[in-house]
Amino acid sequence: MSRINLRVWLIIPDAEAATVKNTLIRRMGYKDILADVKKERLFSIDVDSGDPEVLARAFAKELVNENKESHKVQIDTLKFEEAYVPVKVALHIEDGEAISTRDRLRNRLGFKNVRAVEKATIWKLYLKGENQERVAKEIAEGLLINPHKDSYEILSRPKMPA
Amino acid sequence: MKIAVMQFPGTNCEYECLVSVKEVGMVGELFRWNRPAAELSAFDGFIVPGGWSYADRIRAGAIASKEPVMDALREEAARGKPIIGICNGFQILVESGLLPGTSGSGKVEMALAQNVMISNKKIVRRGYYVDWVNIKHDASPRRCSGSFSIDKGELLQIPIAHGEGNLVTMEKGLIQKLNDEGQVVFRYCDSRGRTIPEFPVNVNGSTENIAGICNPEGNVLGMMPHPERAFFSWQLPPHDPRKHQKGAVGPGRKIFESMKHFIEVRA
Repeated sequence: MSRINLRVWLIIPDAEAATVKNTLIRRMGYKDILADVKKERLFSIDVDSGDPEVLARAFAKELVNENKESHKVQIDTLKFEEAYVPVKVALHIEDGEAISTRDRLRNRLGFKNVRAVEKATIWKLYLKGENQERVAKEIAEGLLINPHKDSYEILSRPKMPA
Repeated sequence: MKIAVMQFPGTNCEYECLVSVKEVGMVGELFRWNRPAAELSAFDGFIVPGGWSYADRIRAGAIASKEPVMDALREEAARGKPIIGICNGFQILVESGLLPGTSGSGKVEMALAQNVMISNKKIVRRGYYVDWVNIKHDASPRRCSGSFSIDKGELLQIPIAHGEGNLVTMEKGLIQKLNDEGQVVFRYCDSRGRTIPEFPVNVNGSTENIAGICNPEGNVLGMMPHPERAFFSWQLPPHDPRKHQKGAVGPGRKIFESMKHFIEVRA
């Protein structure tokens, strides 16, 4: 079993990320802490056979709109750059879009080796100063999720040199 | 009797609400989100209309709930003034902690999640949905500002148009508390008033068919159906006999009349 992680981001301006940044800075007091906010969509696709690299290219053709999006593939592991705190937000109630994506890949496009699809949003918080993970947690709980349907996870990132 | 009809970027039902407010004899005024929030205190009641505030970014109602004008609205709610949130307005009130408001601390206690239509235990449809639905008034008369003049058990046929109206909560005992305190104001039902938990009666998968709730004090109401779209008889669907009846009115009118009655009694 392999997990194909497809990280997808907009190459045109991301209005949603801009609104989140604006709200955090202008309405929630993060002016001196927050430098920027970016966003990615993450598809994590479990397959039980086939070459994951080849499959990833095929999935990207279906799930990425190259006119406005770019993507990166990571097999099994998920690594993020050190410049930001990655916050993964996903539904903890049933995710209809993820189920539809799985069914589309399996039943309409013939990828019978697809076992499961998880969908999430990765919020990339570019923070200044100390306690960045604590601030990211605060932002996640204060704006990025509604705990009655969403869950979040602060993902690990490379350690900064001492 | 002066009502502020709130307008956020992306609100799209404010003019229909304004007409409805004026038709029942109240004075209405659009109140833009970026006006000085303190000016809200000059109004006797508030309507937060439907639409797509901030294009539903992050999730419906989340960004609007952080606007300073919502802090002012919270203060007005604490003074007992009526607030009616319709569709996206309901979502904003939930995200701002004004509804269901049982904690008293502004904590977000529930979510209006993505619609899930279930029939025979199978998901038959998801997402945005538009239709005329039946709702049953499940609260006592005078319990809630927006249903003040509506009898318990009365049925209203009103349209819905939303993608996120599925009431869910992780708060243990909240639904029971809402039931016990009479805070469940409207439930989706069939034309005979039966609250069948499956689609198409429960049109979005909402817990216990809940279509509208109020805060413990009863002055704040949130509802997913759009009463302003069923205000005049001519707005009703072709199969409704009231559509062409002289002098008939739409069932949505009762929500606005209730608000007026609530303010009159409170004064």
